[in-house]
Amino acid sequence: MASQDADPESEMPAAAYDERIIDLDFHMNPTEAELVRYVEDPVAREKFETVEFGMAPRKAKWDAAWAVPGGNEGLFTQGRAEVAEDVETVAEYFAIDDPIVNIGLNNTPTQHNPVQKNAIVRAANDFALDRVIPEDLHCLLMVPQWDPEYAVEEICRLGDKDGFVGAYGWFGPFSLLGDPAFDPMFEALVAYDLPLVLHGSLSFWPQDTPVGDGMLTWTEQLGFDWPVHAMLTAVNAVMSGVFDKFPDLQVVLEEGGHWWIPFARYRMDEFYEMHPEDVKLHPRVHELGNERLQRTPSDYLRDNFHVTTQPMAPPERSADFEQMLTQSMAEDMFLYSSDWPHQTLDPATWAFTDRAFDEDLRAAVLHENAAELFGI
Amino acid sequence: MSTHTDDDGYTHVAAADELEPGTGMGVVVDGVEVALFNVDGEFHATSNRCPHQRAPLCKVGERKINGEKCWNETRGGFTDAPAVACPWHLWEIDLETGEHAASGKQIGVFDVKVENGDVLVSI
Ligand code: FES
Repeated sequence: MASQDADPESEMPAAAYDERIIDLDFHMNPTEAELVRYVEDPVAREKFETVEFGMAPRKAKWDAAWAVPGGNEGLFTQGRAEVAEDVETVAEYFAIDDPIVNIGLNNTPTQHNPVQKNAIVRAANDFALDRVIPEDLHCLLMVPQWDPEYAVEEICRLGDKDGFVGAYGWFGPFSLLGDPAFDPMFEALVAYDLPLVLHGSLSFWPQDTPVGDGMLTWTEQLGFDWPVHAMLTAVNAVMSGVFDKFPDLQVVLEEGGHWWIPFARYRMDEFYEMHPEDVKLHPRVHELGNERLQRTPSDYLRDNFHVTTQPMAPPERSADFEQMLTQSMAEDMFLYSSDWPHQTLDPATWAFTDRAFDEDLRAAVLHENAAELFGI
Repeated sequence: MSTHTDDDGYTHVAAADELEPGTGMGVVVDGVEVALFNVDGEFHATSNRCPHQRAPLCKVGERKINGEKCWNETRGGFTDAPAVACPWHLWEIDLETGEHAASGKQIGVFDVKVENGDVLVSI
């Protein structure tokens, strides 16, 4: 194990700079004015120029500002990448060779007006095409999943452009992928060979429900309701036959945790094997004329899903860490993500300082799985 | 950087005016990474690696990329305790004890003195 003691200024262990690291969750935040320049629709644009595109009007919700001593630091703890050069500078600090950039408009799903949010998604994709991809950075293409028809349009408009290596959407309290209305979007994603990367969105558990209003800490809000929604997203897609209809569709759950994988794989299999009769009644499975799922539920999890690592939240003991990585099928399913520049930043130190990682596992998690999935 | 250890065990690590208030500097003394801090003119020294995930504490106070567009312009900082707030996840580490209260984790703290404009650390 290489020592990092030689250079006190170094952010990462020395060995990290020799390993290829692909980062699946690198947020770029161009200024609002810059993005608005790319809004084509004059009606939407006029409104963006005069009204802030902030949170939808709703009662105040909990966020990281209440949970860190300095307050208000969560989103930009490390800084703010506005142009491609900023991304490159920061990536070097953290030994990231290939940041896969998203223009993180993660509040978009909760915005109410479809004209405005479709316009800003399109503008962000055009910004990426014009300003980020030409600088040799890979990007995710935002898909307006609240409007599957428009999502298809956007995939067809830009999905074959070099540099867009995947599509970007959100998991959360939104329509689940089991809804057959998403089928045209899945078809387009498969046709363009774009994995669907779903990030947690800012909406959290629906407010004005006993559960949503009952969670008063950031640990509950970000730490647990995102994984619950991520897990449900995965199980719902499996049980509704999404991957029987679209066996080549690949889904990545980003920032939704990963230690739930062992629970989901065994519980899904156990439940399904004991109660298989209702699957054929799902509209998609019914349409396919299938009586049963075509594979064991946990097989879909391994073959059609990946999860990102941040925050890794490793156990103290390496032996425990190693077992959890094995149970979670990390060598097949894990993709490294930093979440730069948020306070939940997770530099890949654990891959170099913990004995739970051997050379093969380190390579799989830090770059091989992502390289294969995104063809980079 | 030149380091020289006196008879009393203190090692010269920097000139006091090399380190701006509100910032840190990394030095290596006898193979040990040390973070040296200037907190409003008071110098402190701890182990350089954060007990959480080994961030280099010496980078506290570094200006963020486009810091003027963020709430705080620098990565991490100092509190009145005095404590250093780590540049990665803002864990606050007491500069007198090296402790992080919420986790109970602790790092080494070192004696520091300033003589004739020089900062010396005893490890
Ligand atoms: S590494 Fe210092 S707070 Fe996380």
